[in-house]
Amino acid sequence: MNERTPALRSSDLARVTSRSFYLQAFFTAERQQGPGFAFALLPVLRRLYPDDEARGKALQRHLGFFSTHPVLSGYVLGLVARLEERLAQGEDADDGRIEQMKRAMASPLAAMGDPLFWVTLRPLAGLVGVLGMVLTPLADPAGPDWRVLVCPLLSLLTYNAVALPFRFAGVSRGYASGEEPGKLLRSLRLTDLKSVLERAGAFAFGALAVSTVAVLASSAGLSARDLGHAALVFAPFALGAAGAVVAFRLWPGRGVEVSLLSLLLALILSARA
Amino acid sequence: MLVDVARVALLGGILAVDRTAGWNLMLGQPLIGACLAGAFLNPGPQWELWALRIPLGIGVLLQLLLTDASLPAAQRPRDVATAGVIGTSVALLGMQQLHPTLPVSTGGLLWVVVGTVAGLVASVPGGWYEVATRARNESRLKRVDECARQGRLASFEVLYWGSVVRAILRGAIWSVAGTALGVACATAVLPRIASAVTGPRIGLAFAVLLGVAFGSAFHAHVRGRANGLRWAAAGAATALVLMLRLGGGAP
Repeated sequence: MNERTPALRSSDLARVTSRSFYLQAFFTAERQQGPGFAFALLPVLRRLYPDDEARGKALQRHLGFFSTHPVLSGYVLGLVARLEERLAQGEDADDGRIEQMKRAMASPLAAMGDPLFWVTLRPLAGLVGVLGMVLTPLADPAGPDWRVLVCPLLSLLTYNAVALPFRFAGVSRGYASGEEPGKLLRSLRLTDLKSVLERAGAFAFGALAVSTVAVLASSAGLSARDLGHAALVFAPFALGAAGAVVAFRLWPGRGVEVSLLSLLLALILSARA
Repeated sequence: MLVDVARVALLGGILAVDRTAGWNLMLGQPLIGACLAGAFLNPGPQWELWALRIPLGIGVLLQLLLTDASLPAAQRPRDVATAGVIGTSVALLGMQQLHPTLPVSTGGLLWVVVGTVAGLVASVPGGWYEVATRARNESRLKRVDECARQGRLASFEVLYWGSVVRAILRGAIWSVAGTALGVACATAVLPRIASAVTGPRIGLAFAVLLGVAFGSAFHAHVRGRANGLRWAAAGAATALVLMLRLGGGAP
């Protein structure tokens, strides 16, 4: 090892981890998270390269296009930190290899991370918060409603209990397994986690649907014998839900338009009735 | 009023950073934003009960309605982070101002519907504003490259922190502007249609929005998921059994 080149310390990796929370602040269409990646890696570059010229050269290396899942970005940062360390120490690493390894790690993490965190976990965490409102009993109908604290907390805990361990462990695990990124990717078991969370989401939706119908029935004072009144109370809810299921199939992601249009239709119909 | 504006701006700024800068701690979701706005805004002791319940209703509806289970590249630009804050702020500040002409009816449902509509509408221009702010980063790339060429790491860091500050400002400005526009629209429109704002009509609007929210949740959690219907049925059966056992027979 070249004695003039210090090795990375755990405090450097901790700084990289904390900076990875700002990965997307300088997001651009051309380079996406590239500037953010370089920003997160600065503590490593400062430690490894003694003069401004070498640091600038290393910074330029990481300012290009980079895109991965932000929660899993730590694994790539750790891996690249290890490769930069080897390059600075004069070992077997060069610009091309660093770029190659970076891309080889970033693309699969993005492909697995987006469906796991954005498509499955985040909606599930929101649903758990909503479920909290239906399931938490109102302690005092005339007093403060503590559900305003319980629901967001449930959401935050559900999401961060899964996501934060990946964020905090990412850099050090990526650094430790710098030689075997494929093995690291397999060890994360993201696909298994996604299928568990998908089932949990569908389960929570079923529980929420029944609980909400029960709450609506109880607040409207419905009984099993009063079917006509029950149909009248539930008709707008059921029609809204059925219409939305069809509409979202035709126009996915158009939540705002579908909601406002449904509301408008309902108000027009009620004005005519 | 100024204190309320400052609180809305602060909250909007923090949530915008969570959403756009990369914190991604779930703070930027409408349920959290709406509930935090409810806790931050203080319309006075006489509104204490509603100041907590209305944000919860708005947050729940917006959370389900604005959940987009598409991959990020396929998603439409919607600013969901400030939608909850704007929805709640419009509802609470509107309720405070318009109470003489529109008394709190049907358990505050009117203001839940008003806040939800405000949040939905605000998410669209908020998304455009977010895209425009990000586009401005492109013009700063040259300066970033220049800093790297000259080895000025500290200057690069200053430029980078500047983009974080811009994200905070964007969230703060849009939260305040969206709230001001929403309250102005509510003040201009609602008193004119006060006679049409009846309890049954508000109940109908709320029920339809709740139905659409469930349709959206079904789309996000059940459709297209492996064995989604089976797991949803299992969840429904479990909830039913628990309610029957805990509720002494009747759900």
